[in-house]
Amino acid sequence: MAEQLYFDDVRPGQELPRLTKGPLGEIHLFRWSAAMENWHRIHYDRRFAQEQDKLPDLLVNGSLKQQFITQIVKDWAGRDGWVWKVGFQFRAMNTVGDTLHVWGKVKSTERLQDYGLVVVELGIVNQDGKENTPGQATVALPFRGGQPVPYPFVPPPGTQAAA
Amino acid sequence: MLITDEVRSYIGLSSEADFACDAVEAGAVRRFAQAIMDEDPAYLGETNDANRRFGGPVAPPLFANHMVRRPLGTPDPVQNNALNPLFDGIVPVASLPGIKPLSHLASLNGGSEFEFFRYARHGERVSLKLSYADITEKESSKGPMVLVVRQYEFRTDGGELLMRARMTTIRR
Repeated sequence: MAEQLYFDDVRPGQELPRLTKGPLGEIHLFRWSAAMENWHRIHYDRRFAQEQDKLPDLLVNGSLKQQFITQIVKDWAGRDGWVWKVGFQFRAMNTVGDTLHVWGKVKSTERLQDYGLVVVELGIVNQDGKENTPGQATVALPFRGGQPVPYPFVPPPGTQAAA
Repeated sequence: MLITDEVRSYIGLSSEADFACDAVEAGAVRRFAQAIMDEDPAYLGETNDANRRFGGPVAPPLFANHMVRRPLGTPDPVQNNALNPLFDGIVPVASLPGIKPLSHLASLNGGSEFEFFRYARHGERVSLKLSYADITEKESSKGPMVLVVRQYEFRTDGGELLMRARMTTIRR
């Protein structure tokens, strides 16, 4: 993991280091299905995917893509930061063989008393640059010279508490 | 109007909080981390600089979301469908009662939101409680549609909140 990032060093428009996964082959998809015990055949049984479900090929699991979306902000936040929220939509399919590039860009920042909140626009594009998973994350970052973000995370006052 | 009083009555309907059949296991965490290609040292089965702040070895952020599995001693849908070429392999493991008045409508994935409070540590047990958080109707260019929001709440056996997920399904 990279050196700790501080809220003081973040500006709107700043881009996160890209995270690339793939090319994702049949074994990647099978390994993920096995790890989470998901036996949905469209991810590893090509004949079923194409002949029964009329798909172009084996599909990359949405549940795998959401791991990548979460990882890019987790790694960016560092050990002393915290990813509070991640949201996204699956707008397009990815098929086996795709290379996925996860991107993020700072949309806004808000300085609170104990830490700073950073809203990040993010998504996943394939090797052709086609967006398929647009989303947004809210990341809490420590101040330079300050304390790490409280752990377990304490949402800012006025938001739904972790009760 | 697609939303009636009967549909609204599902808002707040929730399941019991059920524990995943297995605790957070080091081997399961390793397989998960390798499958998502995030070999973060915080996931190693020992306390180190990467996970000390979290109280020791932890699982990836979304690990709990995949912990609810079929327990031993329950019907095996894979074997039960061994001769069914149309079986798609989907094995439901946790669900809410379907919304009967909407059963004739198609279902589309409308997006997911996760809210994180802390990581699950190795050895912890995790419970899941589902509920219908909201059901609203919107007008779209293709006519009326219903947005059904299901909330998933994951807690430790000590009752600490790990993560909330809100999944939106579009029905039209």
